[in-house]
Amino acid sequence: MGWAAAALGGGLLLHLDRVAPWVSLVALACIAWRMTASMTRRAPLPGAVLRTLLALLLVAAVLARFQTLNGLTAGSALLILMGAVKLLETKTRRDEFVVVGTSLFLLLAACLDRQTMLRTPLYLAHGWVCCSTLAMIAYASSSPAPGAAAGPILFRGRDALSLAARSLLLAVPLAVVLFVFLPRMTGSLWALPRSEEAVTGLGDTMSPGSITRLTSSYEVAFRAHFTTHPPAPQERYWRGPVLDDFDGFTWRHRANIFARRQPLLYLGPAYRYQIWLEPSSHRWWFALDTPVEAPEARVFFSAEYELQTAEPVDELTSYVAVSHTATRAAEPLPLLARRYDTALPSDRNTRSVELARSMRARVNTDREFVHSVLEMFRTGGFAYSVTPPGLGENSVDDFLFDTRVGFCGHYASAFVALMRAAAIPARVVTGYLGGEWNPIGGYFIVRQSDAHSWAEVWLEGSGWTRVDPTAVVEPERLRRGILDLLPDAGTAPTRLLHTTPWLAALWQRWDAANAWWNARIVRFNYESQLGILERFGFDSPGARELCTAFAAGLLAWLAWVALQLGRTPAGPRPDRLGRAYLRLCRKLARAGLPRLPHQGPLAYAQVVASGRPDLTDPIGGLLHRYANLRYGRDEPMAPLRIARFEREVARLRIRPASRAAPSTGKPRPGRRGP
Amino acid sequence: MKAYLRARIAQWVLRRQGRDTLPLTLRRQRLYILPSRAGVGFGVLLLFMLLAGLNYANSTALFITFLLGGFMLVAMHLCHRNLLGVRLISAIAPPTFAPRDGYLQLALESGAAANRYRIAAGVDHGQTIAADLPGGGSGQVVLPIEAPRRGRIRIDRLCLTTTHPFGLFRAWTWVHVPVEMLVYPRASGALPLPAESGRRPGVRSSREVGADEWIGLRPYRDGDSPRQVDWKAYARAAPLLVKEYAATGSELRLLRFDSLTGLQTEARLEQLARWVLDAEAAGERYGLELPGTSIPPGQGAEHRHRCLTALAVFGVDPAPRFGVDPAPRSDVIP
Repeated sequence: MGWAAAALGGGLLLHLDRVAPWVSLVALACIAWRMTASMTRRAPLPGAVLRTLLALLLVAAVLARFQTLNGLTAGSALLILMGAVKLLETKTRRDEFVVVGTSLFLLLAACLDRQTMLRTPLYLAHGWVCCSTLAMIAYASSSPAPGAAAGPILFRGRDALSLAARSLLLAVPLAVVLFVFLPRMTGSLWALPRSEEAVTGLGDTMSPGSITRLTSSYEVAFRAHFTTHPPAPQERYWRGPVLDDFDGFTWRHRANIFARRQPLLYLGPAYRYQIWLEPSSHRWWFALDTPVEAPEARVFFSAEYELQTAEPVDELTSYVAVSHTATRAAEPLPLLARRYDTALPSDRNTRSVELARSMRARVNTDREFVHSVLEMFRTGGFAYSVTPPGLGENSVDDFLFDTRVGFCGHYASAFVALMRAAAIPARVVTGYLGGEWNPIGGYFIVRQSDAHSWAEVWLEGSGWTRVDPTAVVEPERLRRGILDLLPDAGTAPTRLLHTTPWLAALWQRWDAANAWWNARIVRFNYESQLGILERFGFDSPGARELCTAFAAGLLAWLAWVALQLGRTPAGPRPDRLGRAYLRLCRKLARAGLPRLPHQGPLAYAQVVASGRPDLTDPIGGLLHRYANLRYGRDEPMAPLRIARFEREVARLRIRPASRAAPSTGKPRPGRRGP
Repeated sequence: MKAYLRARIAQWVLRRQGRDTLPLTLRRQRLYILPSRAGVGFGVLLLFMLLAGLNYANSTALFITFLLGGFMLVAMHLCHRNLLGVRLISAIAPPTFAPRDGYLQLALESGAAANRYRIAAGVDHGQTIAADLPGGGSGQVVLPIEAPRRGRIRIDRLCLTTTHPFGLFRAWTWVHVPVEMLVYPRASGALPLPAESGRRPGVRSSREVGADEWIGLRPYRDGDSPRQVDWKAYARAAPLLVKEYAATGSELRLLRFDSLTGLQTEARLEQLARWVLDAEAAGERYGLELPGTSIPPGQGAEHRHRCLTALAVFGVDPAPRFGVDPAPRSDVIP
């Protein structure tokens, strides 16, 4: 009983940080109740009515909380609760097996939920506990002989654990063979409904005025592995959603899916890289500014050169993209786009509009205007801070004329507003800047703390041009992350990690291991399988070759396990004297005088004497000697005499009796010790 | 339908294996193994996990599924091996008095260096009882056998089975060792022992039991009462000897079926059984006369057994092919 409870507890542990606290509490209470009842026999278990009511109540509670029983979170919660209620009514072996089955289902749900490297040992340990529980259930439920329950040997929990461990270890080679060679599906039959729990990340809106403290999360947004030379630090802009709809306070993403994407002339070197995008609740894929095309057919490559999918990125996603950091427009900006990207609310930020117009009037070209605005940021007493004061409805006015302190969002917002006021098409681009180089894994880690926003302006002759006003105010931001610039940003452990070099190095190793795990294990798929076959020397392998390899591996494993386990278990080996005695018995059996199981040496001597009187003397003598050596008082197990007995048995030749025909067939060698 | 199938399978197994003699070592050829119900459930669970893992291309779930699949195959081997090489040394069913349950005692030997757990034995498809066999050691299983009526209970087929270690598989074997259990009639009836004496009607004795004339000592034989053993001599390192008394002065009872008029056959047999026990306990010599059978007077455990056997099988088919079936337990399957 304790074992079934332990298996269920393990299943609960896998989901402890995902399910609601009350689910854990209810499950733990049920486990405690069951354990108390089985140990003390004083706490009665609930009756059938109470159990049914409890089950219905819990189902209703899950329904009320999640509005569904489908989906991973709701399903896991329901499984945990039902397993716990089942535990309350376990009586028979079948009930306990059901609890273990529930626990294995929880393991499956945990795998579907998260498959990080850190959790894998936990999953394996849980599988181990479940298997041991099976052994304990099977042992405890087989009815022992009445009255003989407390036999000399008992199969204890320790034995169950070691037996299960041994069995699982024997199964590992098969698991590896199946994992590598069992052909994977390339599509999916059905999709798992997922709950829409919010995860931090880049959103579709930006209101710099409402944020008074930028919390930088150390969480990884994605990892980028360049197959070409990586771009210079000041070019590592990772393009995300473009915000071009401004109401004076908030920038929004405009979903203009009908707009035509402006063709671009890609200049400079092409950068080719693979992105490992961590799951989030958003639908953006990130690429180095500016991607050439959509990495996959299911990704929409928008008019603003964003990459967007229909489904949220709910699992680790990898894609290969190609980008150029320098581009030039191949066509003039369409009128509609120009109108969109110069729009400003007429009744807001009027001082800024005035400022922009007067500044524009003082210079000749748009390009010079951009420079003059940047010059203003540099010399106008502006400062970078992650804890800026809040801004009012006229956020740009407030920022430019009052506070003059802000982070990237403030500068990008104000800059774009000024450009638009001067009738220059401009927009805010959000994404990430930079990334930490991981020398062990050879990739860049881009974290949520690297989130950034910058501006794009349309300049005649070159098209959309990236301008990062933040870089003017805080040039170091280009080379270093926010955490380097402002050590008090981020949480305490994050800061510790960032300020302790050896810890940071260790962390990088760990991250590289995780990245390897994700790339090689988690994302192991059909292509990887074929790749392995190619390395084994198959030309253009397919599913057939995979099946062949899989079948060969399976057969090899079966043979191996049969060799490990299938041998007839060896009986206990008799000692020297016993072996000599058995040899003597075999010789006599060949002569047609087999020893029956119930005959001791002396009784056997009598049988020999009556069957073959001619052998009475030599054989009877030997048998008596054996009895003396084995049991006698005067010469117990004397080594020299045993050796002599051995020699004489070896030398013994029994001639077939004149009338007795030699026994037919090979006599079975006795397995028993004498 | 189920019973018919079982009977057909039993016939096939018997044809395949032939009859067995003890001691018997369980070898590969006679071991059968199938997933238990829990094993089937486990398999279905694995199938579901496999589908989910393939569908979501979830490597962790797939690996764990494969691992558990391999585990199941290993469990099959282990279960098979747990039974392989076990030796059945003896199967004895001592006689009992109806309607008290008798028992079948099986002596098992591990035959392996490692411990064997939960080797269960049962009669045919009946309930099983398990024993653990220490490595290189032996154990025994005592199976209760219902004996509601007198007669012979013939157990044709034993089943040795195990689900150890994980309960996912059940390995078993059939052992065709005919074991016969005699069920004596219930010893009941209040009539006094008949005073009739067959040979010496004139001599009547009022002496105490055990006050008979001492004749001498003879070697101990199976069935002798421990009370008659000369323990003092044994303590002096002599072999086990039994003091023999001549019941010269005692009654010579002739227990006759025909003398019990006015009773049903079964009641008569029960009364006779009572008398046999009483006479034996009193240390008297007694003989038994049944229609068609006559047992000359005698004494001792063996004689008692002879008399009670005659009572047990009285009127019952003396040479049953597969056992007369007085108890519903002994399923008659060849």
